[in-house]
Amino acid sequence: MDPYFSALVQMAVSGGLMGMAYALVAYGFQLTYAAGKAVNFGQGELVMLGAFTGISLTHIGLPYWVSVIGAMVSGAALGWFVERVAVRLAFQQRNEGWILLTIIIGLFGVSAAENIWGRDDMPYPAPWPDTPLDLSGISVTWHELAIAAGALGIMALVELAKRYTMAGIAVQGVSADPDAAELCGIRSTSAISLSWVVSGIAAGFAGTIIGPVTTVGPTMAAALTLKAFSVAVVAGFNSGFGLLIAGILLGTTENLSGFVLGSGWREAPGLVLLILALVFRPQGIFGKKIIKKV
Amino acid sequence: MAVLLATSFSNISLAADVIRIAITGPFSGGSAPMGVSMRNGAKLAFSKINQNGGIVIAGKKTKVEIIERDDEGKNDRGALIAQEISSMNNVSAVIGTVNTGVAVMGDKYYVEKGIVKIITPAAGSASMTQWSKAGVNNLPIFRFAAHDGIQAQMVVEQALKLGIKKVAILYDATNYGVSGRDDLTSQIKKQGNKLQVVALEKFAIGDKDMTGQLIKAKAAGAQAILIWGIGPELAAVAAGKEKLGFKVPMIGGWTLSMSNFIDTAGAAGNGALMPQTFIEDQSIARARPFIQAYHTMYGGSKIPSPVSAAQGYDAALLLAQAIHEAGSSNPSKIRVALENLKVTVKGSIADWKKPWSTWNPANVETHEAFRRSTTVMGQVKNGRVVLANSADRAVLERSGSR
Repeated sequence: MDPYFSALVQMAVSGGLMGMAYALVAYGFQLTYAAGKAVNFGQGELVMLGAFTGISLTHIGLPYWVSVIGAMVSGAALGWFVERVAVRLAFQQRNEGWILLTIIIGLFGVSAAENIWGRDDMPYPAPWPDTPLDLSGISVTWHELAIAAGALGIMALVELAKRYTMAGIAVQGVSADPDAAELCGIRSTSAISLSWVVSGIAAGFAGTIIGPVTTVGPTMAAALTLKAFSVAVVAGFNSGFGLLIAGILLGTTENLSGFVLGSGWREAPGLVLLILALVFRPQGIFGKKIIKKV
Repeated sequence: MAVLLATSFSNISLAADVIRIAITGPFSGGSAPMGVSMRNGAKLAFSKINQNGGIVIAGKKTKVEIIERDDEGKNDRGALIAQEISSMNNVSAVIGTVNTGVAVMGDKYYVEKGIVKIITPAAGSASMTQWSKAGVNNLPIFRFAAHDGIQAQMVVEQALKLGIKKVAILYDATNYGVSGRDDLTSQIKKQGNKLQVVALEKFAIGDKDMTGQLIKAKAAGAQAILIWGIGPELAAVAAGKEKLGFKVPMIGGWTLSMSNFIDTAGAAGNGALMPQTFIEDQSIARARPFIQAYHTMYGGSKIPSPVSAAQGYDAALLLAQAIHEAGSSNPSKIRVALENLKVTVKGSIADWKKPWSTWNPANVETHEAFRRSTTVMGQVKNGRVVLANSADRAVLERSGSR
């Protein structure tokens, strides 16, 4: 293979795998949006706090697996908390205050992390081997494979739960029509709350698979939120499959533009994609047009 | 109320009886291991001095009062802190600064007021050359660190010693990285153009993925990576090398000895080479007492940045000696005393015999304490920095002047 071409493939593969992490974070947006028409603009902060919780657990000597569960539990608790104190209140008052409130809680999270864990980036110890896999000239690390497997695994589990468990069907009911669902005996507040808990779990878990690749620090949150939001908007807020495609697309273009144009241009294509999507397909590439009847 | 008044008055009268010294540096953020170690080293020296009653100034023991400021390694914050300290009017001297950009942005305030500053451990050439270029006279800024000129020289020497012909230069986009890149390229020329630079790649603070830069270096056939950056990004480069199976030596500035490089990179960091002025090795007789005192005071088994700690300690001892010789807390008298130190100061790094001389804008070396002959090559080995060349042990043991 031509060395330049193989370098491009290498960059694309690494970027695509990282993009699946963006997709997982974006999936958290989708879950809460489907159920309650709101998203957590502090989703990246949940990822960061989950990762820090996990790191603390490994520091007291617990194995990686326990730290992953710890991160998911802390994500769940935080997700529940954000919905309870920020989103529900704003919806009761029928305003859009939740946008600002979720951002504010996220900023609190950053301050808390800086005070508890410090401003420095910390490595997240993972049990995977350090030696990379060589797939005909393309190096892939186990950490990157863990991102792909983890993101796909969690998304598949949640999708199955949505279809085949009572709670999942209830959430879908609320997402289709809250009033009708209430008439069928489903408490829409509980269903929405559940969706935020699951979204938090996804964020906490994302932290444990992203952390070993990027290290964990308070500053990781803002960039993640922005990237995941771009992915969600580009994909549309109701297609899980679309998220994966958009995530991989963003990760790949990010890496390729960094490689071809120089590392300073890494973030640019994500923003361009976001603008293009908003201009030409506001409902998202894979989204369905929502017709609001007045 | 009467008591309150009395105590506040006594504080004012006390203020004249202490000598105020500021320690500034990044105590949080990516450069924190260096800032914290430097601060701890300097405070260790001052607390020893205070235990003995303080610095003898004109026959009277005067305690040292320390003012600490965290510049977070940010240029703008560093400039604000320099402004604040220089406007306090009762600070005699400053020790610190890790990030060259902070020195470039902030030191002008000290120069305006004539406040003495010993820069340690910032190594970027620009923090001293800015004054020689401006032709400033009576410069109150001194450096106590092996500057990048020396370091770049050693990095190039080491590469040649390893028989390397083609190198990639990687550097971060800060003042430190860019001036390091320039030092490296000029050293390559100076040492006979025997190294071919096949890739010149930069990265930004906060970058986690260096595969792009490394692929280019690998494709160009680089046999070594010469690098100028700080801990977190250096660790990302080591991880990227590991991922690509790109097993070439990494040789760079002394920042490769930062704990946030060594700890984050883990096994991938092994073998990295960097210039050092101090090695945390208790088998070196000169270093042992300092290492033990540091751990007694601050705990732990590993100094986050041993070079910074030892330099902070020795810089504080030198400053105290100069204040004693000046017989005054007046900054301009301290400056003259620093330029003409009479007594040899026994430090953790060396016996310092007149390390600086009267400032000459045409020769920055007058305010530089370290020389090539006094700096050694260190190497990362299983989480610690050890001597790369065992012959260098003599340099560190040497009790003579440096």
